[in-house]
Amino acid sequence: MRADQHLRLDEQLLLFMDQLEALEEKRHKLNSLIEEGWFSIAKTRYSMGNKQVSALQYASEMEPLVHVEASLLEGGTAEFKCERRQNKTEEMKKNTVEDIGVNETGLRRRINTKQKGVKEEEEETDPQVKTKAESSTPEHREPLKWFGILVPQSLKQAQSAFKEVITLSAEIASLQSAILATRKEMQAQVKDKQEKTQTEIEE
Amino acid sequence: MAGRGKLIAVIGDEDTCTGFLLGGIGELNKNRKPNFLVVEKDTSITEIEETFKSFLARSDIGIILINQFIAEMIRHAIDAHMQSIPAVLEIPSKEHPYDASKDSILRRAKGMFSAEDFR
Repeated sequence: MRADQHLRLDEQLLLFMDQLEALEEKRHKLNSLIEEGWFSIAKTRYSMGNKQVSALQYASEMEPLVHVEASLLEGGTAEFKCERRQNKTEEMKKNTVEDIGVNETGLRRRINTKQKGVKEEEEETDPQVKTKAESSTPEHREPLKWFGILVPQSLKQAQSAFKEVITLSAEIASLQSAILATRKEMQAQVKDKQEKTQTEIEE
Repeated sequence: MAGRGKLIAVIGDEDTCTGFLLGGIGELNKNRKPNFLVVEKDTSITEIEETFKSFLARSDIGIILINQFIAEMIRHAIDAHMQSIPAVLEIPSKEHPYDASKDSILRRAKGMFSAEDFR
């Protein structure tokens, strides 16, 4: 019984050490990626001008492109998964392609159903209005455009470095939570073990 | 908000915030409240602490990233936060490299091996 408890405690300790090692590794990667990002921002500042890359350029309206799915697992561990929304420019391109398609079908229907009355025509106009509303989605969602239309390559490099940092930070947050949960579990086991040895000594 | 994931918030210097906003985490909600705080020379500790607490209170925030030197200013508030969501992550800043011995989480983990645990 006691050997079994010791074994479990050892396993927990090994798991704890593994998690700490993984955290250390990820932290190291995160730090170097952030540094890379700052270096690219500094390069951009050098080529665009000091005041061209600052908080003043942030858009007045922002929408997040990244979300984290946070879920609580057993033992109070939280798991974070990073989810990135499709790039705005790609979305806009898709919308324009869809616009043409919808317009064509609209025209075709108009010819076929000319005699059926005005009602159908009204219905046909609806999708057009809808697509217009969709295509007018704001450009401010692409953060690169806050700093100009033709931004230097270094700013794009900074963006990709920070995108990686964001994904990595979600992983680190999950790992940190797992470490705290393992620690809690270990503390409970150590306490249990101490109580048992105390009672054995007393007996 | 339903069906959507949570946000990542940042409290940091200008370059850190700019970088993360470039990464696409920035949001201004209906009340025009941002999910980031650019800490400048004249930003008071009270303001930082209040923003941090407001981020903790927001249900739509999953992770809070904070520069370690700023975390040092409001260490008591970070140490008092025990919930797993939102998670608080300390990151380095340009002038101050990351020091694991200052990290709240690692300090808590290190506490595992203190003399009191084995008494």
